[in-house]
Amino acid sequence: MAINPMHQFNVYRIGPEIKLGEIDISFTNASLFMVISSITILLIFNLGSKKNSLIPNKMQLLAELSYTFISKMISDTAGSKAKPYFSFIFSIFMFVLFCNMFGMIPYSFTVTSHIIVTFVLASFIFMGVTIIGFIKHGLGYLKLFVPSGVPLVLMPLIVVIEIISYLSRPISLSVRLFANMMAGHTMMKVFGGFVISLGIVGGWLPLSFSVALTGLEILVAFLQAYVFAILTCIYLNDALNLHH
Amino acid sequence: MPKNSFKTRLEIAKNKLSRKSLYKNKQSPSSIGTAFKMSTELVSAVVVGTIIGFILDKTFGTKPWLILIFFFVGVVAGILNVFKSAKKMQR
Repeated sequence: MAINPMHQFNVYRIGPEIKLGEIDISFTNASLFMVISSITILLIFNLGSKKNSLIPNKMQLLAELSYTFISKMISDTAGSKAKPYFSFIFSIFMFVLFCNMFGMIPYSFTVTSHIIVTFVLASFIFMGVTIIGFIKHGLGYLKLFVPSGVPLVLMPLIVVIEIISYLSRPISLSVRLFANMMAGHTMMKVFGGFVISLGIVGGWLPLSFSVALTGLEILVAFLQAYVFAILTCIYLNDALNLHH
Repeated sequence: MPKNSFKTRLEIAKNKLSRKSLYKNKQSPSSIGTAFKMSTELVSAVVVGTIIGFILDKTFGTKPWLILIFFFVGVVAGILNVFKSAKKMQR
């Protein structure tokens, strides 16, 4: 097999082919890794919240730490009004984080390195935030597109610009996560290929490079999950506290 | 004097903590988040503007004009996006 750095992103079917009308809904390796990460999250948080001892064990500590981390992030960026949406943001953060982290295991598949996965996540966030905004403010939510203090002549242009800037949110949200994950994983595989092709004489330099890259990628995996969650909070803040 | 030494140690620890929190305020993780946000925001608005122009061109049959106009509107929207998040960062 030739060394192809893009080979890791192949999606293939596991088990039988299932078809719903024209749409192929068979179980793939991508779905397998989504299921694995969801089950891991459920297990960690079930085990972590089973025994509420005063002195926590490791599982409970992990669950409580992530709880306070997200809860602090929400209250910092979106205020106290966003408390009811804690579970939504928490599950998004945990899902993205675990998908990214499972992708760091060799021979595994990175779900978030596919734009369709991140785009579906981002567009659901976008739709949800828009619906929340319309429920909370009614048609007054449209004031988001009309900044105050703009002369009437410029108004149509400004409204169009604001609408485009609003519609660009899900794209920027999804492309950021997808591009970071894909670029990082491709780079790791390229350096891995250098190790093989340079052999035992010159392979040590790319090997040390790819060790460093692995550390960087773990940082990026965490940071991108964090950015994804914090931007959800910022959008939610715009929908809840309308100030324009 | 064990009591006194405890007090001084407590004082030192408190000092360390306050310095740490000061450092944290200066460089909080959310500023890294905003920096990451800026990079893609500029591009995505251009993409959205161009797509809207393309769709409108197809529906109205005014082939090159609307896509040109909406491309530049998208550029403006992208700059506005970056400007807004920069303003948010300063606050």
